[in-house]
Amino acid sequence: MERVRIIAKLDVKPPYVIKGVHLEGLRKVGKPEEMAVKYYEQGADEIFYVDCVASLYRREILYDLVRETAGRLFVPFCVGGGVKTVDDAAKLLHAGADKVLMNTYAIANPSVIKDSARVFGSQCVVVSIEAKKWGDKWECYTDCGRIRSGKDVIDWAREAQDLGAGEILLTSVDCDGRKRGFDIELTKKVSEAVNIPVVASGGAGTAEHIAKVIDEGYADAVAVASILHYGEATINDIKGHCRARGLEVLS
Amino acid sequence: MKQKIGLIDYGYAGNTFNIKKAVLKVAPRAELSEVKTAKDLHEVDKIILPGVGAYRDVMHNLADLAEDIAGAIKKKPTLGICLGMQILSQKGYEFGETRGLGIFEGEVMRIPVKCRVPHLGWAPLDILRESRILNGVKKEDSFYFMHSYEFMNYKDLVSLSVYGEHQFVSVVEKGHVFGVQFHPEKSREAGLKVLENFINF
Repeated sequence: MERVRIIAKLDVKPPYVIKGVHLEGLRKVGKPEEMAVKYYEQGADEIFYVDCVASLYRREILYDLVRETAGRLFVPFCVGGGVKTVDDAAKLLHAGADKVLMNTYAIANPSVIKDSARVFGSQCVVVSIEAKKWGDKWECYTDCGRIRSGKDVIDWAREAQDLGAGEILLTSVDCDGRKRGFDIELTKKVSEAVNIPVVASGGAGTAEHIAKVIDEGYADAVAVASILHYGEATINDIKGHCRARGLEVLS
Repeated sequence: MKQKIGLIDYGYAGNTFNIKKAVLKVAPRAELSEVKTAKDLHEVDKIILPGVGAYRDVMHNLADLAEDIAGAIKKKPTLGICLGMQILSQKGYEFGETRGLGIFEGEVMRIPVKCRVPHLGWAPLDILRESRILNGVKKEDSFYFMHSYEFMNYKDLVSLSVYGEHQFVSVVEKGHVFGVQFHPEKSREAGLKVLENFINF
């Protein structure tokens, strides 16, 4: 079994890191440039940074804040929010991102995935899927879990992979911020549908929840936010628990 | 003496921010510049080939400069990182067959594993022979990899790493030229150590 990555995820509404429930009702929890360093020092395998309001407000991501945060990290840094074109992706990479996340505009214009993969390589292109359950299916949402897209999550995950995406950040809008565990079934279905790494996100309340989505949902990496922000667990606690469960994580 | 280090600029895809910041962390006095022309190449003491992009696009962007770079590498200590290591090969197959800089014998092929590609994650090095670039690196140190393609070379091997039960080349060395498949600028203290070794070389 491969080592699973434990990722600290920062949802940013400049100049603050925020955290809500179902991606809504947002509360300020700190500054991105400081929290990123804190999680880096705790042993996070990667840091994800999502500007949650960029596409909603129809503005560009704030590059200075990305640069400021990136400048302090020596682990992989994945950034997204409002990425519309290959130019936007290039600007993020130049501001210190190693990978670029895309969602809202990639659904409207999937060729941005293909074009970015061609220029930067697939390993740089991460497609963010915000999934909400309807009956026995999941639908993709955009604009931070607010707008329905009509796209089926499994179909879109496959399509994104075929277009050249190198990774999927899969967030369950239903579970996000509730700290009651991940949508295991969703994670498992997407993991089985694609052959690129899948990062499970939304719902971590305990270290056991994280171990479970790795074990039963086949997640290749897990993004954690609330329990880190509120000091309920550290990256080390999570990794210790995963190891005790027999899962491979980086010490 | 102040060292002048040239980072090869691939144009559009080029990303030197993270490497600059990591090099300056271990060598605050180093002078870093982006190499865009043959003249720029003459002015630097060492060369770093950064790691973002796709083989074909990068080689196309370098165009005529590729020959000058290959010439300069024969004389100056060079470190290729990830894709920067891969283009030191004779050819690659990402988005079609493309000629590389030809410093190392070998080709760059898609990682032949059944598990998920790209390989994104941390792995240790199985060091087969001593190399100055790995001075002080411990057996338990892990490095960050992000790649879909791998370097096929059996002559200049320094270390192998494992992904999906498959061994791939993680470090090569030939004279004063080094290639690392991982991203030292993203691999915490162990990665910074590798960059420091290159500065001290």
